[in-house]
Amino acid sequence: MGSKEDSIIEIKGVYKTFNGVVNAIEDISIAIRQNEIVGVVGENGAGKSTLMKVLVGVFPPDKGELYCKGEKVLFPKNPKEAARRGISIVYQEKGVIPCLKVYQFLFLGHEDKYEKMSNLNLGKMRKYAREILEEFHVNCDVDSFMYELPLSVQKMVEIAKAILNVRLEHGDNNITSVIILDEPTAPLTIEERKKLFSDILRMKKNVSFIFVSHIIPEVMEFTDRIHVLRDGRLVANFDLTKSKITEEDLFKEIVGKESSEHICKHEIKSNINEKIALSAMNLTKNGCYYDISFDLHKGECIGIFGTAGSGKSEIINTIAGVINYDSGTLMIKGRKVKAKELPYARLKRGVGYFSGEIEKNLFLNWPVTKNISILNIEKILSKFISTMNFKAEKQLAKKIIDRLRIKTDVNADCYSLSGGTKQKISVGKWLEKSPDILLLENPTIGIDVGARNDIYETILDMNKSGISIILVSDDPEEYYILCNKIFFLKEGRIQKVLSPEKFKEVMST
Amino acid sequence: MKTQNRKQNISQIVIQTLKTHPVIMILIALIVIFSIFFPKRFLTPLNFSTILKQFVTLMLFALGPSITVVMGSLDLSYIGIWMLGGILVWILTPIIGMFSILIIPILGVATGFMIGIIQVKAKIPSFILTLSLLVIYSGLTATLASGYTRHVNGYEFITMKLIPYFPSAFLWTIPLIVVAIYIMKRTSMGVYIYAIGSNEEGVRLAGINVDKYKIIAFTISGLFSGVGSIILFQHLGASVPLELNLNDMTTPLVAIVLGGTPLLGGNGGPQRTIFGALTFSVLYQGLTLSMINPYALQLLIGLLLIISIVVSSRGLKGVNVT
Repeated sequence: MGSKEDSIIEIKGVYKTFNGVVNAIEDISIAIRQNEIVGVVGENGAGKSTLMKVLVGVFPPDKGELYCKGEKVLFPKNPKEAARRGISIVYQEKGVIPCLKVYQFLFLGHEDKYEKMSNLNLGKMRKYAREILEEFHVNCDVDSFMYELPLSVQKMVEIAKAILNVRLEHGDNNITSVIILDEPTAPLTIEERKKLFSDILRMKKNVSFIFVSHIIPEVMEFTDRIHVLRDGRLVANFDLTKSKITEEDLFKEIVGKESSEHICKHEIKSNINEKIALSAMNLTKNGCYYDISFDLHKGECIGIFGTAGSGKSEIINTIAGVINYDSGTLMIKGRKVKAKELPYARLKRGVGYFSGEIEKNLFLNWPVTKNISILNIEKILSKFISTMNFKAEKQLAKKIIDRLRIKTDVNADCYSLSGGTKQKISVGKWLEKSPDILLLENPTIGIDVGARNDIYETILDMNKSGISIILVSDDPEEYYILCNKIFFLKEGRIQKVLSPEKFKEVMST
Repeated sequence: MKTQNRKQNISQIVIQTLKTHPVIMILIALIVIFSIFFPKRFLTPLNFSTILKQFVTLMLFALGPSITVVMGSLDLSYIGIWMLGGILVWILTPIIGMFSILIIPILGVATGFMIGIIQVKAKIPSFILTLSLLVIYSGLTATLASGYTRHVNGYEFITMKLIPYFPSAFLWTIPLIVVAIYIMKRTSMGVYIYAIGSNEEGVRLAGINVDKYKIIAFTISGLFSGVGSIILFQHLGASVPLELNLNDMTTPLVAIVLGGTPLLGGNGGPQRTIFGALTFSVLYQGLTLSMINPYALQLLIGLLLIISIVVSSRGLKGVNVT
């Protein structure tokens, strides 16, 4: 145990740009000391992943210094060199290789240590793997396949692999390693998360962790210090061992204060109908959410608010038909629907799903016209024979583009457009479709304030024309602007129902 | 502790093996059925020898590709290596004599290496790439042979009878199979091939040079096809056809998939192809005994490919986890 100032890994003034234009991260300095868990939080696109990839040698930084135990060293050029510096990473997804056995997976990339005359010493590998798993209290058989293990155990094996990675690279079992956990809890259920965290806390004795996440309660509970990234910059540092902060403090730093200042406030709407468009009764999906009941009236906009991991995105995905629920009833326009209905069937019932993640919405290598017409294909078919009418397709696209005040050529391919324009087009295609219920998930993620306002206006317009909306977002301001009613979700259960004004009060105190 | 428990539950292991290798059940079922229907013709040493001969052909063609299929790629060049290699032997025999047979494995390695490089650099689906190469090779074979089937003498020792009713080509096949299984199961190379087939991105993130191992895998596949083709060259009559035979191309694939190596990769391997090839040979021979119309036989092969893909993808749970 060294003194507090002894940092194992320290970075100073790291810059990274992509294509010479966008500053992915700017002037970031972070130090990681022995036996601590450092949280790095921020919105999607804030530069968390880029920073981590710089640390493990996936991207070389443009500028910056790296210190290993006080000594200045070069930035690693590949994951192996990073391991030599004592840094290893557990990726959010895609890290697991399902068809390998546990011991094969643990030593992947380090077989040369157990290979003599190109013959693997399987017995020795198994034995060492068993020891490692015992040391970290991972309860699984080294001979089972990775895909047979539950997700939380897979994560633990991945963490063990990351630590092993550093040890094998050094050939020293007592080396302190820095393990980066990139949103480790994303695929896990609430119960599994708790188990994973108790395991991680137990490992803290030997290992320091960098914990990357946007799930605030988790970060608050398990980290010693928190660094907040926003738009590629380090905007705040909290030392939880010294001072107490609230979830709201952190939330404000992550979202950014100035982003909410220019946004218009919505008018009080009076067009809410008595007709119920959608109602959920005791909707439950084990491990995600429990006993969700609400009614959505025609022309109403409700928000389901909660921190990431509270089950809000699972609820909206359930209504969209992306995932199914375990029990309860879901009624759409007075008709009971089956749990296992697919998104296309829900769309036929009038439920549209829009997520702010561009990849889910747009075909990036298609022109704007095709992107709009794919959802409205019945509107552009010729009357005589059902063939595509390209003139109508173009007119439709022009109509939507004019309405959204986008300045772009309708034949431009979508990948060439700016983020805000892309987002507007993906909202815009729903204008013409006009479903009865529109599900919005993070509709303004990753776009600037001006474009945000335009999107809010469009959404409010649609709302006025009688479309009911359910909103799920990471930005609390959005609920205030768009919703008539806000459901407060915690650990998968609805805690309270608030009006937008009350909601603002709660969030600002 | 755990190993002791495992030894005690042999019956459990048998059940587990049957569950993950549905092909073994099919094999046993086929043998039983054919033995009941044609007791006098099926259970004879001669028939046994015919089945083994068929098995050798299938196995040697399928050995190389089963390695690339595990990686999630496809290598159809095996027929091309056999055809072009055969004709090169005919050309070279008057010049360098008996050693000319070695041109086949050299051609195999060169082909595999080339496929690997093109696949990695140009990122073309390996199916299209190797299929085009196969067409090129068959065209080249016909051109070099100037349109006549060419027969080469002097390599009869390969198929010389050593044990009665036991084709010696089969004996030469055994070490090849053993080496292939060894590579897949006991070397880091093999682990990487399985890993790439299971989750290529994950392997790349683990800091492994995926492209390098892909090239090596294709080269090994070419080597096995080449060495196998030496045996096959004599085994299939010391001459090669000048036209591409669709059956020659598809049946080894059927053997691979039927054995339980999914075309998506990540699982299976040469050890499973043994069962696949054996099952197919038994079925083929059984159906031949049943005096079925030879054209209908071809239809059955196609149907079998579809059924075997369905069965093998059911038997392996890990396939869906990607």
